[in-house]
Amino acid sequence: MGKALFHVLVAAMLVFLLAPVLLVIPMSFSADKVLAWPPSGFSLKWYAAMLEERGLAEAARNSLVLALVVTTATLAIAMPAALAIDRWRFAGRDAILALLTAPLLLPTIVLALALLIIFVGAGLLGTWPGLVLAHMLVTLPYGVRVLSTSLSTLPASVEEAAASLGAPPSSVFRRVTLPLMVPGLVATCAIVFLVSFDEVVISLFIVGPQLVTLPVALFRYVESRTDPLVAAVSTLLVVFTLAIVLILDRAVGLRRAVGK
Amino acid sequence: MPIASRLALALLLPALLVNLAVFLVPMGNLALLSFQQASAGGALLGGFTFATWAKMFGDVFYAELVLDSVTIALSITALTLLCAYPIALFIYRTPERWKNLLIVACVSPLLVSAVVRTYGWMVILGDGGLVASILRGLGMVKPPRMVFNTTGVVIGLVEILMPYMILALIAGFGRLNASLEEAAASLGARPFTVFRRIVVPLTLPGIMLGCLLAFVLAVSSFITPKLLGGGRVFLLATEIYDQAIVTLNWPVAAALSLVVLVIFGIALLLYGRLSRAIA
Amino acid sequence: MSDAHLVLEALEKRFGAGPPAVAALSLAVQKGELLGLLGPSGCGKTTTLRMIGGLAEATAGRILVAGHDVTTLPPHKRDMGIVFQNYALFPHMDVAGNVAFGLEMRKQSRAEIAAKVERALAMVHLDGLGHRRPRELSGGQQQRVALARALVIEPSILLLDEPLSNLDAKLREEMRTEIRDIQKRLGITTIFVTHDQVEALAMCDRIAVMRAGSLEQLGTPFDIYESPATPFVADFVGRINRLDGARDGDGDILAGPLRLRAAKPGPAGRVTVMMRPHRLHIATDAIGPEWNSAAGTIRRATYVGDVLACEVDCAGAMLTVERHTHPGQPIPREGEAVNLAWRVSDTLAFDA
Repeated sequence: MGKALFHVLVAAMLVFLLAPVLLVIPMSFSADKVLAWPPSGFSLKWYAAMLEERGLAEAARNSLVLALVVTTATLAIAMPAALAIDRWRFAGRDAILALLTAPLLLPTIVLALALLIIFVGAGLLGTWPGLVLAHMLVTLPYGVRVLSTSLSTLPASVEEAAASLGAPPSSVFRRVTLPLMVPGLVATCAIVFLVSFDEVVISLFIVGPQLVTLPVALFRYVESRTDPLVAAVSTLLVVFTLAIVLILDRAVGLRRAVGK
Repeated sequence: MPIASRLALALLLPALLVNLAVFLVPMGNLALLSFQQASAGGALLGGFTFATWAKMFGDVFYAELVLDSVTIALSITALTLLCAYPIALFIYRTPERWKNLLIVACVSPLLVSAVVRTYGWMVILGDGGLVASILRGLGMVKPPRMVFNTTGVVIGLVEILMPYMILALIAGFGRLNASLEEAAASLGARPFTVFRRIVVPLTLPGIMLGCLLAFVLAVSSFITPKLLGGGRVFLLATEIYDQAIVTLNWPVAAALSLVVLVIFGIALLLYGRLSRAIA
Repeated sequence: MSDAHLVLEALEKRFGAGPPAVAALSLAVQKGELLGLLGPSGCGKTTTLRMIGGLAEATAGRILVAGHDVTTLPPHKRDMGIVFQNYALFPHMDVAGNVAFGLEMRKQSRAEIAAKVERALAMVHLDGLGHRRPRELSGGQQQRVALARALVIEPSILLLDEPLSNLDAKLREEMRTEIRDIQKRLGITTIFVTHDQVEALAMCDRIAVMRAGSLEQLGTPFDIYESPATPFVADFVGRINRLDGARDGDGDILAGPLRLRAAKPGPAGRVTVMMRPHRLHIATDAIGPEWNSAAGTIRRATYVGDVLACEVDCAGAMLTVERHTHPGQPIPREGEAVNLAWRVSDTLAFDA
């Protein structure tokens, strides 16, 4: 009896947790002008309307480009840093790792304000370099953390074996270390890409009239109007995210990539 | 293989420079800003003054803002714990094969942008939404308003924070194991006593970690209060945004940011104290 | 069976489809008896114990304690003390808190609990350690706390689930006698699950050997060891030589090149012959009619201090012989030709 009650409770909580995401999908096919449930009929009109919104399409393109640039830049900077942190026997190692990952511990609203004020003075507001730098504030900690974890779990003996067989350090890295790190690298790319693509609070402070990202555009849309158009965009975003996760899973096995 | 210090420094340099440019310098600047003078138009005049802080301490609005934010964040934390605990317990007891699937299902909302999930709550809680139409179907003529007020913000944030809470809880459930519950039952403890005397104490580390996480995320949350609050719910983060973007009063925004950081610090301190106490 | 304290009637446990984990198990345990459930892993012995303790639901059958049906009672109403394989000590309570838990559940007074806890800890030689946390104790001490916790509630039945398997060999022997002494002193009916035949033989009044969910044999340690009911029991309880052969009309058994006689007669047909290695001798004298014998060559001699084990090739049939060592006796050389002899009464034959 108690057990059945417990299971009902768990099921109810799971429904509560998944309801908003799951309800958005049927909502996107609504034929109504406003948000109403249940919809009076179903249609594809909001998908059509979405394509008409010029601002949204441009914002989506911006977000995609931004996420790709941020991912590349983060990887290029985080990889050497992770290597140094993992391989350098130095007393300040933990302190450096703590410093590089510290932004994750602070509220994004505070980080966003701090960036806004500095960027105004530096003329970076509403510019591509500004947005890339701002996103790297949150993606770099993820990159350094995931990559150094992935490095630290590599068996040291394999590299030593390669060295004993006559491979110079650069070859050891290229032929042994890097291939073994592929799961970690793929995971880092996926995490960094999604973090950048979904980032909204910092972007809200940094974007300008000429340069808006998709989450910011959605935020502003939802703030001013509540109609099913955002449901259509959201549905596409859910599908897009799902696709990335599935590709990641196919490529390296999600558990292997995320697990230690 | 160990590498030379000079090489290590060279490898770390780019990351440290980025960190300096977008983290250390801006944060240091922010800390100082609340002590600077600003003109009415928002331009910073430099100098050193306690004027901003004095004005904030003198204004009841800010005291209420902090109090409201902390109270709402605490109630959200408690509700999130209540909603997430059964799920976490269930997942923890599920056989390994299904466990990972369930964890993925519970964490998957994290992959969806907070804007989208908040929008989902508008679909559910809005005036023409799911809950309202159910209530009307049950015969209620005028269902209560559930968006653009504190109720909506609380419901939305509880759901948004649940995945974090579930993960933290499961991570902290390590000491719980089935034979301890069985042992207690064999010694004569009824199911509820087993829960109170064995399950809760053993899962306390997870509960505290989850509450810390939920609290700091709630007290600094912005998107959900802004959208589901509809401009009628004033919390620290929304006020920081308004002061920074709308009113352009940066010293006040900076001071409020420091208040948020102090609240974070207090929460961390409390967490550390309590953790040591139960260890 | 009039005095039976614990009775299992056609007890069955199924997990989903497939063969049952425990099938039609019937047993009667006398008051004060220590009954061992012995078998390889997966034989259903732990499942049986968990059903007795109420930790697993029986899918069919009944469990009776002192004549009362307890089959559907939840564990907290069964009044049975359980010692778990991993001890299951509450990590957030000290030793005294662990032992007191069951008494608190029985709403006993503070003074009463304190006195009983002290006595229970003294019984397991842990006086003065009441304020330690479980993780500060050695494996043996944890085991004692688990035992004290199970016994202090004065349960009607004590259930021990592989309680010694996490201890090192020396400690295991010590705890073996200690548990047995306490059990005898308290006269408490006890079920003891183990996969270790030595443990079972040394501690139990009777042993139930289980295999694939069913009872294979129930008997005293002597019965189980000397008169195993099946080749499985003979093989599982102690080391044994095994030969396949056939019995002819005269009752003689032909196993490869050997012609043998067995302790008990039987019909003609295929049989499995089994002999304990230490009942085989390397013969020096002529042998009588009550002996079986075989000639062979030593292939390997293994000296392990107190015992010398020789593998002897008897024209293709490999037989192991064990004997205690004496300083005066030389260790046989490999390749040496020997004669083996063993009593007909030590020759077990099972119809295939």
